[in-house]
Amino acid sequence: MTSPIASVIPETSAPRLARTRDRPASLPQRRSERARLRTDVALATEVLAPVWPLQQFIAINPLGGLEGRAFEDAVLATESTLGIRGTLDEASYRREYARGRISDAELRSALRRRLSSSLDRTLVLGGQRWDAADLLRVDLVHGTPAPAARRESRTLAERTAPAVAEAIDRQTTKWCAAFLDRGQATWVMPGRELGLFGAWRRLARADRSLPAAARQRVSGIPERGEDALLWALDELRIPAVEHRGYLQAHLACLPGWAGHVRWRAEHTGDVDIVDYLAVRVVLERLLLSPAGADPAPIPPPAPVERAPDTASRARHVVAALGATAEVSSDERRALAALLDLLPVETRRFVWLEAYEARFRNDLLADLTPRPESSRDDDLRDGQRATGGAEPVVERPAAQLVCCIDTRSELLRRHLEALGPYETLGFAGFFAVAVRFQSLAGGAATSRCPVLIEPSNELREHAASGHERGAARRISGLRAIDGAERSFHAAKDDLFGPFALAEASGWLTGPAAAARTFASAGYARARASIRQHVAPEALTDLPVEEAFTFDERTLLAEVALRMMGLTEGFGRLVVLCGHGSTTENNPYASALQCGACGGHPGDLNARIAAAILNGAGVREHLDAAGIEIPVDTWFVAAEHDTTSDRIRLLDRHLLPNSHAGAWDALAADLDRAGTASSAERCASLPGAGTPRSASAAVRHTRARGSDWAQVYPEWGLAGNAAFIVGPRELTRGLDLGGRAFLHSYDADGDPSGASLETILTAPLVVAEWINLQYYFSTVDPDLFGAGTKTIHNVVGGIGVLSGPGGDLRRGLPWQSVAIGDQLVHEPVRLLAAVQAPTARIDAIVDRNPLLQDLIGNGWISLAARGQASDPWLRHTSRGWMPWTTTNDEAR
Amino acid sequence: MNRPDLTHMTKVEVVVGAADVAAVRGVFEAAGATGFTSVSAVSGLGHGGYHQGRLLFNQQGALELLITVVGDDALDGLIAGLGPLLQERPGVMFVSDTYVSRPEYFA
Repeated sequence: MTSPIASVIPETSAPRLARTRDRPASLPQRRSERARLRTDVALATEVLAPVWPLQQFIAINPLGGLEGRAFEDAVLATESTLGIRGTLDEASYRREYARGRISDAELRSALRRRLSSSLDRTLVLGGQRWDAADLLRVDLVHGTPAPAARRESRTLAERTAPAVAEAIDRQTTKWCAAFLDRGQATWVMPGRELGLFGAWRRLARADRSLPAAARQRVSGIPERGEDALLWALDELRIPAVEHRGYLQAHLACLPGWAGHVRWRAEHTGDVDIVDYLAVRVVLERLLLSPAGADPAPIPPPAPVERAPDTASRARHVVAALGATAEVSSDERRALAALLDLLPVETRRFVWLEAYEARFRNDLLADLTPRPESSRDDDLRDGQRATGGAEPVVERPAAQLVCCIDTRSELLRRHLEALGPYETLGFAGFFAVAVRFQSLAGGAATSRCPVLIEPSNELREHAASGHERGAARRISGLRAIDGAERSFHAAKDDLFGPFALAEASGWLTGPAAAARTFASAGYARARASIRQHVAPEALTDLPVEEAFTFDERTLLAEVALRMMGLTEGFGRLVVLCGHGSTTENNPYASALQCGACGGHPGDLNARIAAAILNGAGVREHLDAAGIEIPVDTWFVAAEHDTTSDRIRLLDRHLLPNSHAGAWDALAADLDRAGTASSAERCASLPGAGTPRSASAAVRHTRARGSDWAQVYPEWGLAGNAAFIVGPRELTRGLDLGGRAFLHSYDADGDPSGASLETILTAPLVVAEWINLQYYFSTVDPDLFGAGTKTIHNVVGGIGVLSGPGGDLRRGLPWQSVAIGDQLVHEPVRLLAAVQAPTARIDAIVDRNPLLQDLIGNGWISLAARGQASDPWLRHTSRGWMPWTTTNDEAR
Repeated sequence: MNRPDLTHMTKVEVVVGAADVAAVRGVFEAAGATGFTSVSAVSGLGHGGYHQGRLLFNQQGALELLITVVGDDALDGLIAGLGPLLQERPGVMFVSDTYVSRPEYFA
């Protein structure tokens, strides 16, 4: 047996738990109660997604714990437990319908997919015959809207004493901010070693914000969080069978803090969700009745607004149809029975599916081969293609392997238009999962998707012969860090700010002015000073120390096979990670590479290039059938998605023989970046209409250095598809930065191993990103972080809106919208895979996570065996033609 | 089996998805188990079909086997916690007699 379980609280210290019992519970009985409580808490928590700290913002599906249920069921369940809104409201969808974004045909198709044969009939109303689908469509468009979703489970305090409920939330925020702080606070909360509940219990006795009677009772509360929570639930007269629902109600009060506690519990282990709940429920008990009197009886729940019944819906439909003849009662009953097939609460899901159809149908039509003449017409028109993007038939001038991130699509498209370049898409961690410590030291960080816990560690070294330069950089970085710490320490000190203002005001005042009115110049000056104090040093990544030979060869082979790059290598193969440079942006990590755990992808590209250039690895690959020419060199680069600059990494490792090839490529990358910036500039608020491409570039680059800019770039807004297949599938198409592109060659993967990895990892990450954007858009208050303009960073872990309240989760409003105009269309992800459907079926059959995602409607799956085949839709009844109804045929 | 050099105890084995491992460990601790063994990325065939074991780049999609050995005083707690959990979450539990040579390790 291994891993002894530690507990800081002796279990024998727990006093009697149940006030109604005649004698104290025995130890086995207490253990049973605790164990059952643990399960209640675990099940209550499934509606709550973990909230990552801001330094490594990870886009996740906020309903990830419910992926075992159908999307619709999970949304409805979460609406009633957390009070969220899981779709746009009907009024929003109707506005999209009114402006033509959703058509009648798309609505009818969505209805047919949902109700299938139930709609194969007509109804007579007032002597006129109507198609069943049309009647439901009228109800969708004209029916009385469903009432807004409302949280049904509420705490006792919320129902009986709203002021107490608010006080509990205030106390929770106060103590969570103190306990969970990661270095932002000047004073560390005492007693942290006791855990959240233990530390709170110790300090609450002296907390003057609590009533004196309540403070006096704290000492009598059990020391152990589980026991205290059971005590409080018992005192509140919450029956054991209702514990789970009651605890869920408490989790719903501040889902941001609760979600972050969940993340900390699972990743750092320094806090326990039971402790969090214990603090809240004990506070509730104490504040509802400080002197210990019995709590007030639980009042019945407040009446909820009811959805219109089918009879009234039927009347509404008849009125909307403008039927002139009398509609009989039998006809009305038949209509009501039809409307019963589509409950009011579920109409939004029909709207959602109709809303999703346009992009999906258009995309798959674009991915369908057409006669050359038709394609040439498109290229001339420049409607959906960039032009000049002829497939590479000879050895490419270079290959650029980009992250699957939707932002890479622009760069790839513009580069391909410039010459015989081949581009590929692969998860931006390049199959390198590692914990990394930089030359400057500090805490190691995981550079890989959060789906993986890396087991390899790598520490950056000074390059041979450059030790002095590295030492100078380290000392310079330490000096900068020390200066910054001193400055902040002075600001946080009681009297320090006065002296600080006197001593440095002459400098910081003008600096702030320069930073505001000449941000680009300020950024250049600061970078120059930084370079002077801590000049860049050449470093090496000792991949042989961090990875065994077998690991390196496995990594290299898996990466190349997954991206379908097993032949036709160019002289230069560029592994291009991506990062983002922004100022004063707590959400900076949300713009970094998700596949690298919210960090820039430069390091992973450097490691992968070093491995792929290794002689021993090349020999192994050769033996495995991947013959890389001796003149092929892998180089690492980084694409800054805010400025569209692409910079070469580890230039000192580039052989002289390849310097010319890189310089030529770099020039084209610069042009491609300029074109990408110009394209992006058109959609950035406040950018106006730049006079030239270079003016657009200057503008986009200035945004990254502007500390007041809340729209530095759009990140992955607009994402809607994940395309798996060879680049020929998408080459020449303008996908508008809406698609994740993963290269895949089905012919080179007969076992399906590569496809299985793509579908179980990159697709999952893309689904998380997609749903993070989706939910942040449909409910910016509870799933999103609200407006950036009032964000207040707390504890180094997240932001509050203003001085208090819940820890915000999800993306800020400025990531998905401008004012009240959505920039991100909240649609679920379409995965389009070019591979044999039998292979896909086999993979789905042995992976429950894919069964959940696809079968439960979290993503949609389209596939075709080869380019000449029609697209098929994955359904519960097997593969069906993508266009299954006449309504959809376009 | 009756051997004076071995002590009778109960072995509880649980197979759950990675997302539920923390919950199972929490129940183990609350019930008084003093330790456990875990085997990650197990595969097998169940009523839900075949389940893939190790995935190359997704440890969260894998199943995990957790094994603990307890005395009678902790068994009721384990069953009280794990039973309801496995009614709602995918997974299986096996409870069997076992014998250990150093019972003080498990109490």
